[in-house]
Amino acid sequence: MRGVSVVGVGMIPFGKYTEKTLADLGWPAVKAAIADAGIEPRRIEAAYCGTALGGMMAGQRILGRIGLTGIPVANIENACSSSSTALRQGVMAIRSGEYDVVLVIGVEKLTKFGGGTLPLEEEDWEVSQGLVMPALYAMRARRYMHEFGLTSAQLAKVSVKNRSHGALNPDAQMRTPVSSEEVLASRLIADPFTLLQCCPTGDGAAAIILCAASIAKEFRSEAIRIRASDLTSGKYVSGFRDMTVPEITVRGAREAYEEAGLGPEDVDVAEVHDAFTIAELLYYEAFGFCAHGDAGAFLESGATSLGGSIVVNPSGGLLAKGHPIGATGAAQAVEIVRQLRGEAGARQVEGARVGLTHATGGGISGFDHGACSIHIFSR
Amino acid sequence: MAIDTSLTLQAPPESTPILLPGDALAKGDRGEPLLIGGRCTSCGERMFPRHPVCPSCMGEDIVSETMPRRGTLYSYSVVHVGPKKWNKPFALGYVDLANSLRVFSHLLLADLEIGSAMELDVAEVGRESDGTPIVSFVFKRVEA
Repeated sequence: MRGVSVVGVGMIPFGKYTEKTLADLGWPAVKAAIADAGIEPRRIEAAYCGTALGGMMAGQRILGRIGLTGIPVANIENACSSSSTALRQGVMAIRSGEYDVVLVIGVEKLTKFGGGTLPLEEEDWEVSQGLVMPALYAMRARRYMHEFGLTSAQLAKVSVKNRSHGALNPDAQMRTPVSSEEVLASRLIADPFTLLQCCPTGDGAAAIILCAASIAKEFRSEAIRIRASDLTSGKYVSGFRDMTVPEITVRGAREAYEEAGLGPEDVDVAEVHDAFTIAELLYYEAFGFCAHGDAGAFLESGATSLGGSIVVNPSGGLLAKGHPIGATGAAQAVEIVRQLRGEAGARQVEGARVGLTHATGGGISGFDHGACSIHIFSR
Repeated sequence: MAIDTSLTLQAPPESTPILLPGDALAKGDRGEPLLIGGRCTSCGERMFPRHPVCPSCMGEDIVSETMPRRGTLYSYSVVHVGPKKWNKPFALGYVDLANSLRVFSHLLLADLEIGSAMELDVAEVGRESDGTPIVSFVFKRVEA
């Protein structure tokens, strides 16, 4: 199987761009990735565009703006895993030998919905009964607190950590640090979550240029290798499910580690799907960074903060960098590539050699999540 | 037991019942609300709501089965955001029934606690934009 390298990354700062179209969010990220790779645009043979709510032909709308047309373009929807799924499609296309160079895009404009909770599929029966994403994660949090004694103060510390990381990231939507007191005093959303324990609504775009590892030196002297590219879907269960164990991520992590020939002890930096505070804690455990039930103490030990042994969400994560859902997976990859190149500035994880990204997607009945895509990168 | 699947229950005359697949809401002999799920005659898989096909073996011979009216609260949240139609705040939770199925449901707000005994009821859970009440099944805490 051919190796795949990342030779270009770009993104726009996540935020609220109510006056811009989806296409106008997307093209600057693509152009930045092309410039970063130092590649002739005509070398790009195909494009994979992930968006969840961006409507039809998002990729063509973006690429039409900059004349990158006439190539195969596939638009991919997988909820919050849309652009991480697009990344995997790009990886597979290069591995197969079909193409040598491809473009991956993630893009979303959530401000068009005017704020509030993410609109979910009304045909789903739990959604028809009132399910909203904060409630789903809140039920996980409450059960975890019940079983393992996690406290509200520990939950709040996830936001404190990620907001402190986001303050160092010029591409983050939320760039001011917050204290535990501020987190806990913000208004209730779905108990135990207050507003500052929920990812913000926003817009964004990110892009990645992939190529066959054998030609990466044509573009960059230090290309980043993709060591694992995993996608899985949730398992439908009609009865009991342990909500303190994110089954889909546990399974995906095992598959990704096996594909990479690496384990949790090898990972220096991780961008995980912290849509709500509890999620980051569950994912420490799912990725094997700490034992089941120990995530609160692990967070408090400082291990996952900048300067710690396994830095989680140095970009600020979804809580601070923002979560324009279809753009998230691609933006996570942008961050990890910058970290492994040593280009992350004030939030640089010193000596980072191995990093991973993780995006889950979908709140639908019977599933832990609908989708989960994990990538492992190395220098 | 005679099962009436008319969905009218104790709903006010001008209310909108939530549409559920498979005539999921019914009432029993004494007028009590019942949830109707399904059981696959090929593999025995139980489901709620009842679907026309089995998620375990793809069998299409699914019979109706009345669900236990009581269960245990697995987890819950009191929610202050979400679509306009829901009365706020509203409580949501998962209730584990004795037949090992898990039901997602609105909950009556009083005295919620993980592990407590819950019983099926029917209540207004929201209002349409024209003010029409929305009525659905709910679970409420009861003495174990």
